[in-house]
Amino acid sequence: MKFAHIAALIAGLLATAPASAETLIRIGYPGTGIDDRPYAYGDYVAVANVQQLVEAEFKDVPDTKITWTFFRGAGPALNESLAAGQLDFAAGLGDLPSIVGRSRGLQTKYLASAGSHDALYLAVPPDSQLKTVEDLKGHKVAQFRGTNLQIATDRVLEKHGLTEKDIRFVSLDSNAATAALVSGNVEASFGGSEYLDLAKRGAVKIIYSTKNDDPTLGRNSGLLVTAEFEKAHPEFTAKVVRAFVKAARFGSDEANRQAVFELWSKAGLPVESFEADFKDERLAHRLSPIVDDFIIARYKDQAERAKAYGLVKKDVDIDSWFETKYLKQALLDLKLENYWSTFDAKGQKVAEGEVEHTKAASN
Amino acid sequence: MSGGQAAVQTGHEDSTSAAPTRRRILPAAGVLALGLVVPLGLLTAWTVAALLDQLPEQILPPPWIVFDTLLEGLQDGSLLSSTVTSLERVAEGFAAGALAGLVFGTAVGLSKTLREFVDPLFLTLSQVPTLGWMPIVILIVGIDEGLKIIVIGWSAFIPVVLNTSQGVRDVPEAYVELSRVLSFSRWSKLTMIVLPSAVPSIFTGLREGLANGWQTLVAVELIASFEGLGYLMAYGRQLFQLELVLSAMIVVGLIGLVIHGLLTLAENHLQRWRPETPQ
Amino acid sequence: MSLIAIAGRERLSHIAPPPLRFIGRHLRPLAVPIALLVIWELLARAGAADPRFLPSLEEVVARGVAEFSRGGLGFNLLASLERDLIGFVCGSVAGIALGLAIGFSRLIERLLGPVLLVHRQIALFAWVPLISMWFGGGEAGKIVFIALAAFQPTLINTWQGVSGIPRSYRELADVLTFSWFDFARIIALPGALPQIFTGLHAALIYAWTATVGAELLLNIAPGIGGRMNEGQHLFHMDLLLLCVLLLGGVGVVFNVIAGSLERRLLRWRIP
Repeated sequence: MKFAHIAALIAGLLATAPASAETLIRIGYPGTGIDDRPYAYGDYVAVANVQQLVEAEFKDVPDTKITWTFFRGAGPALNESLAAGQLDFAAGLGDLPSIVGRSRGLQTKYLASAGSHDALYLAVPPDSQLKTVEDLKGHKVAQFRGTNLQIATDRVLEKHGLTEKDIRFVSLDSNAATAALVSGNVEASFGGSEYLDLAKRGAVKIIYSTKNDDPTLGRNSGLLVTAEFEKAHPEFTAKVVRAFVKAARFGSDEANRQAVFELWSKAGLPVESFEADFKDERLAHRLSPIVDDFIIARYKDQAERAKAYGLVKKDVDIDSWFETKYLKQALLDLKLENYWSTFDAKGQKVAEGEVEHTKAASN
Repeated sequence: MSGGQAAVQTGHEDSTSAAPTRRRILPAAGVLALGLVVPLGLLTAWTVAALLDQLPEQILPPPWIVFDTLLEGLQDGSLLSSTVTSLERVAEGFAAGALAGLVFGTAVGLSKTLREFVDPLFLTLSQVPTLGWMPIVILIVGIDEGLKIIVIGWSAFIPVVLNTSQGVRDVPEAYVELSRVLSFSRWSKLTMIVLPSAVPSIFTGLREGLANGWQTLVAVELIASFEGLGYLMAYGRQLFQLELVLSAMIVVGLIGLVIHGLLTLAENHLQRWRPETPQ
Repeated sequence: MSLIAIAGRERLSHIAPPPLRFIGRHLRPLAVPIALLVIWELLARAGAADPRFLPSLEEVVARGVAEFSRGGLGFNLLASLERDLIGFVCGSVAGIALGLAIGFSRLIERLLGPVLLVHRQIALFAWVPLISMWFGGGEAGKIVFIALAAFQPTLINTWQGVSGIPRSYRELADVLTFSWFDFARIIALPGALPQIFTGLHAALIYAWTATVGAELLLNIAPGIGGRMNEGQHLFHMDLLLLCVLLLGGVGVVFNVIAGSLERRLLRWRIP
């Protein structure tokens, strides 16, 4: 650990020195809004951030300060920051980057799910001849390497009889990929809901989405804490989890559907994009924080596939990663034990939660 | 990327050439052994730390894993083909930039009027870090080979122009006099007197241009590409595979060494070829 | 960039306007830029070029006025300069210190020389992935990268400057039984100063390149590089041109400052 400490020390010295007595709670989010706006979207992390729920939770705790960092380089850049000891929480870190980080020895605990069933879209220019995933063979395609888009993409390719080697992938971050697609620098791009707005405006067309495909193709993300912070500050960890559970509660309630979309639109995407992204889908389907058999099975599956695709070099132990006592405590404290549904490994509903009965506010 | 390194090299003897005068005191083997102490010591420390599990893998993977990755990359051809792609890009960009630089530099060196017209603009443009041009070039030509050739070419162009024009201007007066006495045509004067006499300076320009081109290649490949050594590094970074990053760095360093060695050889050869350069 | 390469000393004078022989001559350096600007404006007005690639001059000027009056780009420039200078100072102090040590001690030179020679062959940007993994892509990582860029030329030049001190001086120092410190203070440092300065000059330019690179390749942060990213993604050619202008302007200013300091230094040494 010596080298890590020295590196962290140098890094600490170089970074603007924080006030010494203060406990910093440094939250990182793997992404930015459109044009690098410092906002999240599509998950409950965005709710917590905009409504300042974590800050509210710590209002009465003296000498604490919450900082948020939004990473243009998404999961991989967030991992680098974790490795350099510059973050305590990773909120909404994708499945692949968190598995990669774990395989490389980043000491983290998985506290809660921060998103599941996130859809993957394949966008092409409006006049493109490409019509199916199979057509991509030999073409130049943008992909955000190392994020959960990559493994989701690899799985989609596998399902359609292709591998990464069949396609000329250019690694570009979300904003760069959009620019490259619109200007014709790449012929197609795999991405998230940011393409829905462009499609609506006719700048791109979407030729494939995982939305109506196999439910296990969706992307997952999680709320993680560094083992060091969790050990040093279990009571703060509990507070952070409680704040995020509150955010998830707000974000899962169908009565807040419009409010949530509006809050996400701070990231620079119009409300209609989210309406399209969540069409025929309940908010809780993606925003539930529950770590159930379905989530655990997803991560085990992703870890195996990541190894099979050569994205990680060794087996990653998933079981010992989850630390759900904080989540359970928060659910108990907030009387939300039965709020969300739980699912088995295959995605079958085991227990129906109250959230399924929430209704959209009537206009 | 252009710039600094070049500046260091110009006009000052290189560290390698500074050393020999002092080296004679110790037998060559002793010098070699001393030179190996630090690298071997570091390698041993690295190995021991890795063996004792004292080195977190996210900081530095064990040396044998890096070695395996290198071998693997050579065997499955991925490292080899990336290297070839990168070398091709540098070769093409450098050739284009150097050729244009020779022509432009000679013209600017010969004509004082031309110099007065273009020098300030050129000097100002050459102050923009090469990387700073990249977003503009990307908007205009996209992210394909064109981008790489243009950016690498430009970074090689600058030192070649500067050194060529300087070399052409510095042709000894006696030579110019000679060509006048012999009533050489303009063309003969250029090819027989001016250019040969500017060779050392041109060579310096080419050397700096090549070094700049190599620097720029890595940067441009990190930003956007789907093959090449810079791409391998970017890939390794995205997936936190330090061993991949390190093996690509080793190849980059080796190629840098080979280029350096070849240039030193060429330079020595050049000096032998024109022993009586009046300077 | 290679300016200094050329610049050596006397060539820098070409940045300064030529002597006032007559007005026409004096204006020559302006002729080409003005002609280019006119052609540019004509092309943009005639609609001959894609406005996406060639915004009209007014657009660029308007963008410049708006950016600087709102403090947008000015603020970004300051952020870049601050980062640049911190990295430059850290890197060049380390470079000079190590360069002095190597230059003084033959043992250290033999031990570290080959390593440093190999280290120099690794393209600067090849360090970006490693640095971002070790120090993160935030401010720390950026500054380490900039410092590394400044470190290389100062180290090499200091080393060469000190090695270049005539043997007789060393022997004289031995005869006078100078302490290590006195030798450094009285002989080595003044003797190596011109070349140390050459190294610093190069480091200044190199650090500026690295600043742009760090801002483009590492995490988003205020700075010119971040704005260039924005310009590229949003197809704002006017913003990009403005950024390039600023980058070049800063480079010219650095060169002029370093050049005049260097000249002053030489004058001080020579009499």
